[in-house]
Amino acid sequence: MSEHLKVIIAETSPVIRCGLEVQLKRLSGLRLQLIEVADAEFLYESMRMHKPDMLIINPSMQGCFSLQHLKEETGCPHVKCIALLYALADPALLRLYDEQISIYDSADEIKRKLEHFDTDELPELPDTDEQQMLSVREKEIVVCVVKGMTNREIATRLFLSTHTVITHRRNIARKLQIHSASGLTVYAIVNKLIELSDIDKQQKT
Amino acid sequence: MYKKEKYRETDKMSDLICDNYPMVLVMNRFGIALGFEERNIGEVCRQNGVDTCTFLTVVNFLIEAKAAPVENVGKCFSMEALITYLHNAHDYFLKFRLPGLRSKLTEAIEDCPADVAFVITKFFDEYVDEVNKHMMYEEKTVFPYVRGLLKGKDGSKYNISIFRKRHDQIEMKIIELKNLLLKYYPGKGNNLLNSVLFDIFATEQDLSTHNLVEDYLFIPAILELEKR
Repeated sequence: MSEHLKVIIAETSPVIRCGLEVQLKRLSGLRLQLIEVADAEFLYESMRMHKPDMLIINPSMQGCFSLQHLKEETGCPHVKCIALLYALADPALLRLYDEQISIYDSADEIKRKLEHFDTDELPELPDTDEQQMLSVREKEIVVCVVKGMTNREIATRLFLSTHTVITHRRNIARKLQIHSASGLTVYAIVNKLIELSDIDKQQKT
Repeated sequence: MYKKEKYRETDKMSDLICDNYPMVLVMNRFGIALGFEERNIGEVCRQNGVDTCTFLTVVNFLIEAKAAPVENVGKCFSMEALITYLHNAHDYFLKFRLPGLRSKLTEAIEDCPADVAFVITKFFDEYVDEVNKHMMYEEKTVFPYVRGLLKGKDGSKYNISIFRKRHDQIEMKIIELKNLLLKYYPGKGNNLLNSVLFDIFATEQDLSTHNLVEDYLFIPAILELEKR
């Protein structure tokens, strides 16, 4: 689901990799989807395929490529890179990383470091009921979507820019966890935002 | 408790299934019948004409439940057996699982307002269409291509990376249905509806592991084939 943080763990040692995975899974309050990469060879492919939010990587694995190159090549310019350290490392090497985790860090320390990202840029976890409720404007947009209108038509109807409509739609999807138009139809009918007959009428014209 | 280490052909089939009951589906999709007495995995496979190594590769991959490509699949692996497995899984979803779920769902939501029942059913039908399209593409395009490769034809017009790129996650929409029912279902809950929810959870899981097998076993194995 979209609220999960996608995290790639790139580490050659299976013991450390699995240990970190278990530790991360135990952290309460963070919903993580973990992907293991054991081999530098698969890192590019895995990044391209999963487009992770975060990459936890043993810097020694990096070896023959640069972090910058990795981010650009795989189309993940915004991925947060966290160095996984066994011992002291050259600060110059670590400059490119957004954060570091030592294998001796406690669960709380790791959690704090990960949450630190969570608050600024990564997708927020909705924590109150109020955030889940749709605003009046958002409800109007749901009705339009359900009627089969395009973003541009919605923009014209509600005197908004297309860009604003897209932003609203993204927020609606995030709040409701519904991404398809047919899913929104169910939501709209259940919550009496629209009558079934309105939809039929619209789609016939 | 789940047994963690890898299964070998000398392990008893009944141990495998009792330790990991979802494997009964895997067995079934390979065409292995129940009633295997005390026989071990290798014996049961041979008796049913199933390639043991392929069976074990799939079983161990699913039990390990790791989203990582399986390495060195080529060695003892039968592509034909894996295609049979995938094909039977498609049949299971399209001809058994989803139709069964649909009739159960329509019965369970009988009591809620007609318009709500209508849109929920419509949502479900659209979902089934999507799954159908996804699986038929594999049946009609991918499998014939792989069978051709096995016979030594080079499929110069097609290659598996095309499939890899368009291979989408079909379980997303069933997750949405689950959310809709959990959060917004207006009628009274009932036993049948609970049972529908359990089925949805199971189907979601089943579809996602089905996709894992395709992404991390099937596709890497085809990439190996293409290199030859």
